[in-house]
Amino acid sequence: MSHLLMNGFTKHSLRIALCLAVIFALPRGAAGTVDDAQSFALQAAEPYVKEGFQVREDYWGGDLGSGEKKAVRQQLFKGNEYWFWLGTEVERAKVSVHIYDSEGKLAEQPDSWEKGHFAAAHVIPKATGSYFIIVAVEESPEERTHWALVYGFR
Amino acid sequence: MIPFSKSLKLSVIALSGVTFGAHAAQAPKQIDVKAMSKTVENVVVPLPNEIFGALNKLGSVNWREYVRTEKTSNFTERPRIALLLGTVIADGFIAVQAEDAPAVKDIGNRVLNLSKFIGVGNSIIPHAKAITEAADKRKWESVRQELDRTQNSVQQAMNEVHDEKLSQLVSLGGWLRGTQVLTSVVTKHFSPDGAELLHQPDLLVHFQTQLQGMPEFNVPIIREIQTALGEVRPLVDAPKISPDSVRRINDITTKLDSGIVTRE
Repeated sequence: MSHLLMNGFTKHSLRIALCLAVIFALPRGAAGTVDDAQSFALQAAEPYVKEGFQVREDYWGGDLGSGEKKAVRQQLFKGNEYWFWLGTEVERAKVSVHIYDSEGKLAEQPDSWEKGHFAAAHVIPKATGSYFIIVAVEESPEERTHWALVYGFR
Repeated sequence: MIPFSKSLKLSVIALSGVTFGAHAAQAPKQIDVKAMSKTVENVVVPLPNEIFGALNKLGSVNWREYVRTEKTSNFTERPRIALLLGTVIADGFIAVQAEDAPAVKDIGNRVLNLSKFIGVGNSIIPHAKAITEAADKRKWESVRQELDRTQNSVQQAMNEVHDEKLSQLVSLGGWLRGTQVLTSVVTKHFSPDGAELLHQPDLLVHFQTQLQGMPEFNVPIIREIQTALGEVRPLVDAPKISPDSVRRINDITTKLDSGIVTRE
């Protein structure tokens, strides 16, 4: 059993090491894309798939300057539970995501979180209708920072 | 766009620990949404199973009743094929709700054939195969994910050849079929919570705006949908959606569905 665990751990560590090596091998000034940002948003979503969330293939994306924010409008259904995951490929950036109902009232659950270039907001809609998801680049060393927002439901 | 499956392979950082110690900064409790000048225009249309899932939580639904097994007509007009493709993908979600493996496999093949007719078949072949395999193993979550991937791949392939309007019709076809089934279920067993799932006025505006931008698609069904959405919009924009409104929307969407799947 411990051998199996070690095997899995070793394989996982090797994969991470390889990927990190690839990341650090990239030119430091290399410009990312919204697709890169989406990869990070999807990584944030990954642990939630095991909890039964279906992550949509479609997503929103763009770029923002430091301190800028944008609103995404989305139809949500009462009875479902949603997570929205935001990511950027700019690792020293800080991003945030928050959810408001159609009246502008904060609608997210307290377990919503943000950590560096990842952030996530959790909502269990009290009513069916349009919600506003506010994405922001709080800080970034880049002039423009790509962002991508994906969502999942169960 | 990078599909979710690719991201799983691209697992760069073990993120399972990211939420540990992470917390949301204090967000304002209230904002003025009308003052949000920077709004992203892109709309992600909900999948039929997003609505069906919410509906299921209100009480058990006999999904087998809504599985469509009869073959639909063949069309040559691309806008009609796009609408039908969206409808058939929605039928796939219904068959998954009913856990009807033969119907799911049949629908997978129909999606592939329609995609070929419209010139995007190559992008669908792996998805059709994956749908069949997952249906055989009765892995319904995998089938749901694969149907989303299928729709996404079809639309991406259309967008790549600048057929964005056809891509929009795929979403519209799926939404219409989903709404038809939703209203059928709620008409049979009315509940205010079930009816509230129809409260989607912004999506109606979104579809109406898109259809207004398609004057070149001179097929009667497109104009019929445009007129019908104008009738549906005030019905779903009410604070409480009545049983009569649900029934009316069902009549409208059933007529449209018949127009989409059959040759006049």
